[in-house]
Amino acid sequence: MKKKNRIWFWLSVLFILATLSALIVAIAQNKPQGSTTITGQEWFKGNPEAEVSLIEYSDFQCPACASYYPLLKRLAEEMGDEIKIIYRHFPLSSIHPQADLAAQASEAAGVQGYFWEMHDLLFEKQSEWSGQKNAKDIFIGYGRELGLDIELFSADIDSRAVKKIVSDDKISGNQAFVSGTPTLFLNGEKINNPRSYDQLRQLIQNELEK
Amino acid sequence: MISFANLSKMNWKNKLIYLIAVLALIGFLDSLYLSASHYSQSIHCSIVSGCQEVLASPYSEIIGIPIAFGGVIFYLFILINALLYIDQPNKWSFRSLAYIPIAGFLFSLYLTYLQFFVIGALCQYCLLSALTSTGLLISGLRLAKTESKKYPSVKNL
Repeated sequence: MKKKNRIWFWLSVLFILATLSALIVAIAQNKPQGSTTITGQEWFKGNPEAEVSLIEYSDFQCPACASYYPLLKRLAEEMGDEIKIIYRHFPLSSIHPQADLAAQASEAAGVQGYFWEMHDLLFEKQSEWSGQKNAKDIFIGYGRELGLDIELFSADIDSRAVKKIVSDDKISGNQAFVSGTPTLFLNGEKINNPRSYDQLRQLIQNELEK
Repeated sequence: MISFANLSKMNWKNKLIYLIAVLALIGFLDSLYLSASHYSQSIHCSIVSGCQEVLASPYSEIIGIPIAFGGVIFYLFILINALLYIDQPNKWSFRSLAYIPIAGFLFSLYLTYLQFFVIGALCQYCLLSALTSTGLLISGLRLAKTESKKYPSVKNL
């Protein structure tokens, strides 16, 4: 090939490679923005009219979520008038085999109005059922503890409607580029998980003052 | 140079080198994306869930360097050699294209094994890399077979 052509060949190779690489790196570094529209159908704590919302994507079988649970519970108790804290399911079923079932159990309890009670129990007693083959029986035991209609509860755990709620949450999490649990969205914006309660509270304060 | 303008008239032997270049480019961009995501700690996976498990697993890096970065080097090396070969067929590029993908394929096989049997989760970007490295292995070996007369040292491949 002619010398001039070779120069053009290698220049265009260099140009194309550099452009594509820059593009790919830019895409990869694009921090996910929450496409987290609140539907009004989800479970929440706090003030439904609050201007600041915190969405938590969580997995009942994830240890980090269980250690986050007291923080969010305290937040709801202390700042419940000013914020709305929403719980959404994001069971990582591939590493947490009982996570889907646990999410379904919470929703089945929710059918009878006991979502948060079951939510609390599942996190508090995570080590009791996590990894257990008979997790469903344990959940039914919790249902009994909460005084649920057990027949209805055990039918609801596997019902199509309940499964759909869980999978809809999962889809919304995927759309919002949730990549692990717990993931928090403050007013639709993904935030790095605060390391302490005070940090979490401060973040909410800042958002309230905006 | 193997002319790009005459691609349609080319015999399949010459097309093979373009196939290698395209596969290496795909692999390069794929592993570049994985490396960059490793540092920004966010990855867009909406097709299959599981990439977060794979990419957050201890197998995703060796002494702080993401494994995907090895992929970047490997594919870039193959890509450059394919381009050098397109520019001017030569012995060293030819050998790289024939032999190096064997190592890439074996390593990719190991990573796929890890995903299936150790981590128990799949990452589509890693699987894409497994596909491109398999493609490079096959086309590298085919290239070796068809071109070995030119370079007798690799006749026995």
